[in-house]
This record gives sequence, C-alpha cells and structure tokens, in this order.
Amino acid sequence: MSENKNLISAGAGIAGRNKRYVVWFYLLNLAFAHFGAATFNDNAHAILDHSLHADKLLHGFNLGVFVELMTRPEFGALSGATHPAMMFAVVFFLASLLFMPGVLLGYASDHRLPRDEFYRACGRNVWRFVRLFLLFTVIAGIVASILFGVQGALANAADKTSNERLPFFVQLIGTTIVFLVLTVIRIWFDLAQTEVVLRDQSAVRKSIASGFRKTRCNLGRLLTSYVVIAFVALAVLVGGILVWHAIVPPSSVVGAFIVGEATLLLLLAMRFWQRATTVAFYLRELAEPIEQDARFPAYAKTLTQSSAL
Amino acid sequence: MPTRRRPAVCLLTALFVLPAFAQFARITLPIPDTTSAINSPTPLSQRVVAYNMDARYNAKNHSLDATETLTYHNLTGQPLDSFPFHLYLNGFQPTSTWMREGKREGTRGQNFATWDSKSFGAEEIKSFEVVGQGDFTTQLQFTHPDDDNKDDRTVVEVRLPKPIPPDGYVQFKIKFHDQFPETVARTGWNRDFILGGQWFPKVGVWWHGAWNCHQFHAYTEFFADFGVYDVKLAVPQNEVVGASGIEVGSVNNPDGTKTVTYHADDIHDFAWTASPHYLIYNDTFQGSMGPVKLRIMMQPGHWSQVERQARVLKQCMDHYDRWYGPYPYKTLTLVDPDPGSPAFGMEYPTFITGGTTWWEPEGYHVGSAEAIEHEFGHQYWYGMVATNEFEDAWMDEGINQYTQNKVMNSIFGASTSVLDLGGITGGERDLARLFYIGVADLDPMAKNGWQYADNNSYGGATYGKTALMLLTLEGVVGEDTMRQAMHMYFTRYRFTHPTKEDFLKTIEEVSGKDLRWYFNQAVYGTPVLDFEVLKINSTPVEWYKENLKEKKGDTEYISNVWIHRRGEFIIPVDIEIKFDNGDKVREHWDAQDRWVRFAYQKKAKLESVEVDPDRRIQLDRNNFNNSRTAEAKGAPARKLTNYWQCISQFFAQFLAWWLV
Repeated sequence: MSENKNLISAGAGIAGRNKRYVVWFYLLNLAFAHFGAATFNDNAHAILDHSLHADKLLHGFNLGVFVELMTRPEFGALSGATHPAMMFAVVFFLASLLFMPGVLLGYASDHRLPRDEFYRACGRNVWRFVRLFLLFTVIAGIVASILFGVQGALANAADKTSNERLPFFVQLIGTTIVFLVLTVIRIWFDLAQTEVVLRDQSAVRKSIASGFRKTRCNLGRLLTSYVVIAFVALAVLVGGILVWHAIVPPSSVVGAFIVGEATLLLLLAMRFWQRATTVAFYLRELAEPIEQDARFPAYAKTLTQSSAL
Repeated sequence: MPTRRRPAVCLLTALFVLPAFAQFARITLPIPDTTSAINSPTPLSQRVVAYNMDARYNAKNHSLDATETLTYHNLTGQPLDSFPFHLYLNGFQPTSTWMREGKREGTRGQNFATWDSKSFGAEEIKSFEVVGQGDFTTQLQFTHPDDDNKDDRTVVEVRLPKPIPPDGYVQFKIKFHDQFPETVARTGWNRDFILGGQWFPKVGVWWHGAWNCHQFHAYTEFFADFGVYDVKLAVPQNEVVGASGIEVGSVNNPDGTKTVTYHADDIHDFAWTASPHYLIYNDTFQGSMGPVKLRIMMQPGHWSQVERQARVLKQCMDHYDRWYGPYPYKTLTLVDPDPGSPAFGMEYPTFITGGTTWWEPEGYHVGSAEAIEHEFGHQYWYGMVATNEFEDAWMDEGINQYTQNKVMNSIFGASTSVLDLGGITGGERDLARLFYIGVADLDPMAKNGWQYADNNSYGGATYGKTALMLLTLEGVVGEDTMRQAMHMYFTRYRFTHPTKEDFLKTIEEVSGKDLRWYFNQAVYGTPVLDFEVLKINSTPVEWYKENLKEKKGDTEYISNVWIHRRGEFIIPVDIEIKFDNGDKVREHWDAQDRWVRFAYQKKAKLESVEVDPDRRIQLDRNNFNNSRTAEAKGAPARKLTNYWQCISQFFAQFLAWWLV
C-alpha cells in the first residue's frame, strides 16, 4: 500500500510540477468546445434573446420548455448542434494524441522542457502513437465487446427473475468489471506510450510487449493507483455537480461557468495525474540502461537524470 | 259484447299474434339487481349484461379455460337477430389488424422488429350455445368492420334464427380457451405474473341504432355495456390474486389450486391479476358515498414506496370526489405489475395498474404518481362515463389528461407536477404541450382512434391537444365554470355512453355561451393556433430634428406593435404592452384579421410586448414568439450554451481519457 501511495504521490508531484500541460489542454478543449457550441449558441440566441418565455429557462430549468425549444423548427435539427460538438471532441482527441508525447517527455524531465523539445517529441512520435491507438482500439474493442456481450447475457438471465434489483446489480457489477479490465488495458498502453517516448522506441510492438509484461508483473500497484485516481475524479465530478446545484443560483451564468469549468479542469487533471503516475512507475522500474541516441541527447540526459527518481 | 267476443279475440290472437311472437326467443332471465359491490342501495346503471364466468388458469403455459354465461337484456327497442363479440386476445397474432398497426407504427414502446412467438395470444371459442335456440359453434363468423383484413379474428358474429324481442333477454353459454401472450400491451404474462385483461368473449354495444363492435386496434381501447359480473377464477394456491369488484369467496381445491370468486356491480369490464410475489397493502378511503377499500398489490422490491402510492391515490380520490363526483364502488385495486412488463398504466373498472421502479425518487412525479392519477382518473372518464374509446378516444384519454393536469397541479404544484429533481422542473401543461406541438395540424380530435396519421398524432391529439383545448377553454369560460361543467357532465352521464356532443353541449349549457366557434376549430378541425409579436419599435416624435438628444422621461415616442396571427385558428386574445417608465397597457384583439397594429404616443419607449400575458391560451403552438422585448437579453441563451459547452467538453475529455 505504501508503494501505491508513493506511486500516486510521485505522480501527483510530477503532474503538479507540470500544471501548465493540464492548463493548456484544458484551454484547448475549452476553445474547441466553444467552436463546437457556436451553432447551438446562435440558434438559442435567435429564439430566446427577445422572448419573455425564456425566463423559464433562466430562473430555473423547465425541462418542458427546453425540449420545446429544441423542437422548434427555427432551432434547426438537433444534429446541427450535436455534430459540431462531436466533431470538435474528435479534434480534441486528435490534439491529445498529437501532444501527449511531449507531455510524457516533460513528465520524465526534471526541468522545464524547452518548447522545441516538446514539439520535437510530439512530431517524432505521432505515427507511433497513431499505431498504438489503433492497436488499443482493436484490443480494447474486442475485449469490451466480449465483456459487454457477457454482461448483456447475464443481465438478460437476471431479468428473468422478478427481483428487479438483480439485473441492475448485475449491470453494475458487470460495468465495474468492464471498467477495471479496460483500465488494465489502458495502463498497458499508457506504459507502452511512455516507453515509446522515453526510449524513443520506433518498434511499437516491442513497447507493447514491454508494457504488457510490466502491467502483468505490477498489476496490483498500477491498477490500484489508477482506480484511486479514478475515484478521486468521480468525487470531483459529484462534488462539482453538488456545488453547482447548492451554491450557484439558477440565473447565474458566470457562476455556473466557473463551477462547471473548474470541475472540468480538475477532471482533466485527474487523467494527467494517471499519466504522471505511469511515468513515475516507468522511471522507477527502468532496470535496463537507456541507449543514448546521438540525435536526441536531451532525451538521454533527461532520462538518465530522471531515472534516479 | 265484450264477453261474447272474447273467444274470437283469443282465436285471432292465437292465429296471428302468437306466431308472430313465436319467432322471438322468449327468455325471462333478468339481470341481477345486486348492490353488494357498490355504496348504493340501488343499481347505478341500466344493466344490459350479466357475465357469469368460471375460469381455470394454467400458470405453466399461461392459458385459461372457461365457461361464460352471458345474459343480455335487449334494451335497444327493436328485435335483435345478430350479436357481435369481441375476441381481443386474437389481436396478438402476426396477421391481425392490431399487430399490423403495431408493426407499422409501434405501440406502447414496442415496434415488433421481429415476431416473437411468445407474443402470440389467442381466444378460441370451443362451443357457443344460445339458450333455447341451440348450438351455434359452427355458425360463428369472423367479421372485420373497420378494415379489409380477412385474417383479423378479433370480432366474431352470431346470427340467431329467432330474434330477441325488445326488452327480451337472451342467454349465451360459451366455452372458450385463452392463450395469453407475453405482455406486449395491457394483457398477458411476464415471468410468473399474469394480468388478465380483455380475456373473455365480450358482446358489442348497441349504440345509435347499430352494433358497435370494432376490431382490436393497436392504439384504441374498448367499449362495452354496464352490467354485473360474477367470476370464479381457479389459480395455483401460491398465487396472490386481485380483480375487479369485491372478493366474495376463496376455497382451496384438492388439486393444488384455489378458486377465488368475485362479484362486481355496474361495471363494463373485468380484469384480474395473479402473481406469487405480490405483497398486499390495505387501506381505506372515506368517499362521499361511503368507504372504499383500497388494495394495493406491490412487487416486493417496491414495497418501500407503498405508503407513497397509497398517499397519492387517496389524494387523487379526494380531488375527484370533491371536484367531479363520488366514486361509488366499494373497492379499488391498484396493481404494481411485474417490472418491465407493458401491463403498466392501464385502467379497468375498480382495477388499475400503476408501475414504478425501486429507485424512483420523490420528485419524479411523472413515474408512479402520474400513472396512479391517470389510471384512477379513468375510473371516471371511461369507467363511469363510459365513452366509446374506439371512436372518441379523446373523451377518455384527453378529458382524463385534462383532469390529471388539474389534480396533479393541485397536489404537486403547477410548475413541478411532473418533475422536481435537482433544480430541473416540469409541469403537466408542459408535458401536454410536448405531446401536441409536433403534430398540431395532422388530425382533429374528433376522429376514429385507428384512423390517425400515426402513433404520435393519436397521442398528440387525444391526450395533449384535448388537455390543452380544455385548459384554453378555461380561459374562455372561467376555471370555476369549467369545473362546474365537468361536474355536471359527470353526474349527468355517469353509467351511460355519452357522445362528443353530449360533452360539448354540457359545457355550453353550464357556461351559457355559444362555443361552436371554438369547438369547430379545436375539436372538429385542425387549424393551428400561433400568435406572434411580429415586430415592435419606438421612434422619437421629433425624429426629423438634427442632433436630437433622447432623454428618458422627456422625449416623446411613437411606438408601434404588430401582432400576427400565424395560424388559422381564430381566438380573441389579450396583449400586454409595457413601457420603460413602468406603464402597462392591455389590448384586446378579436384576431379576425391576420394581423393588427397598435400605436402609442408616450414619453416612454416600448420595453416589452406579450400576447396572452395571463397564459390562458394553452393551444398556442409556439410560446417563444408570443412576446418580444425591445432589448435583447442574452442570459438565457448564454446559460444554455454554457450547459451545452460543458457537456461537449466533458464528452471530449471522456473520449480522450480512454483513447489516449
């Protein structure tokens, strides 16, 4: 347990020292979400700005009025609002894929990573990360399909009883198991990504194999760390919603924005905390010496120094 | 001499009159005038039928075998030589009209993407005897009065060689076999639960000079005559049974079954349920005609909610008793059906199904509370005021939706009568509007239930539009007058089959107003009601002066307001104009023209204009354009956009969390 604690706190230390990454990613997502909500914003302003009926949405939240708004022909099809939001969510995902190598390198570094090194790491690893992502989706997709299939079958079987709570708890337990298994796969690929970046490993399959071995051998420590952080994230989400509900007046747009965005920022920080934990673990477990690459002396220096963590 | 002529009279009678009467079947089997199931010393309805049934339920294969003795009193005023019967369970067959419509439109949340053999239901007549006339089993003919579906077997007709004379009686002895479907709608089994609805051959209604016996349709419900029911039901001994009427006996049989006997007076349908899992909660409601025994049959997992259900039920009964009239029956059974079963939310005389979940929060009124209110309301608008649900669906569902609106708003508050959870609210009116606004111009309310454009149009017109039509009518005649009219309608037409005109004329009578202009549009037509504030402006009177400096309170303005009637529906309306010095002006517009302009000259600018400021017109399809402010208020849109943006960001982070 103390090892887990050390790992979690080491991760927290790394993430805390590199808060700027979280902030930049958050601002990126905020900007994308702003663009994604532009259509919704325009449509809502066009209908609500001069209508007294809109007060039912400002001083409270009347669900019937909201649904009525969304079904107005002049609001346009719902897809007109959802598609841009989804598109920018995908853009944020691609941006994360692109910039994550730089973040991992920054986490492994004991000094503030120069901008050129950050971008160089991003550029150098982009194709590797794409391949890792594709492999992750294949493996996680297959595993998730099987698990959800089993879960569905069990839920159907449970549904044959008159005990209404049984299917619910089967679903709950099933979802928890799927979550844990997918978290394990995520840890595995997080370690593979870390190795790809820190070792400058072009052969992605080797990193995947290495990540798999490390995950298998240290499953308890890593999974505990990830789950603890996930629970913290859940607490942040619930706390954010409660604060929003309890403190923010219904008509306070600014208050809702601050609480909502603070919650989202903290949630994003949780994921970066997990990634930092993986980096901390990787650096600790690094038994083999790092082969110095003449083309990237900064890497070698960074890793050599960091491995003493 | 009269005495001397008597033999001749007798002879003539014997020669001419008796043969004429001989062609009629003469049976004197009066309908019982029992009152043990009602809080009344005398029968409440003109009893046309008496059903005596002896049924045995086979829980293993969800089938039932029964004998039915139906006594029918011919009160039509003319001889009857044919009788149609509903065989509703035959609707649950792949080629039936019910299933074809269900497949086409979906019904009760199901779309029948594939045929499931468990959905099969059947009602097979094994023998059919007319007492005194013989066995007609082989002479029964399926008819399909509503469509040309030759495969539909939900209406069967028997023709009698000897007509039943006016005021005469006829008795049918029918043996039948039921195969219940897994509940796809209203009736059937689910796991080891069964709800027996529409389960016996049921004679049609002689109405307006003809038999009214429609096929079973996917949306429409039922129509039947009042009478007396005596039902014996044999079920496995571990089953907990509930049914319409009062339980008058229960005996265990040597074969491991028990026979439960029920009696009901002045009802027009009989339903029952059985499950080994029910837990029973008994309570009593003191109605104005006497005590009503409440029997709540709960699923064990929902037991924690039973007191809440009892409380809501009694609140509803109290409102109906005070506002519309007494509930005269001695019992009311509220059934909590098996979880996930489409038997939820259904009404039968003295027997209703609600439905809930184990996790239902207190502020979620749209779940069990609304179901209880709605189905109890049907005890009035269907149960006692027994309208034709096939042809006038709006008269049971819609009037009920209207009274539901009133009762739920009274109990839970107008803006939170549907939902009051975590700051998210919703009222019954909002719900009715959602039913209606998407299908406002598709179908009139007055239409045969199976002939609507689709499922949404049926729901929108019968439930939503009717409720909104009556709420809008409140604005025309006044809320108190409307309540008096509803009370009058109930007391005048309970235990009868009123028509739409009976209802509409009652409102006109009580209000003392000719409301044809309204009914023709709202009930019989499809014009859409939509007012909008087209534009507003305020211009300085001395606009032509160069370097004019406007000063609040000093500068005089000419303000213009344009109101536009976008829809074809014409109804007089009030308009409220507010100025920035606090002045308010009320205008009344008859809305005969498509638009109207109001102009004012004041030392104040327009602040806002609102059509129907008292929210009397609930039928208006678009409430957002009913008002216009001079200055834009961006806060509502910003608030919603903020919500939308937060959700988008969360989604993006969630995606990135798992994939990168």
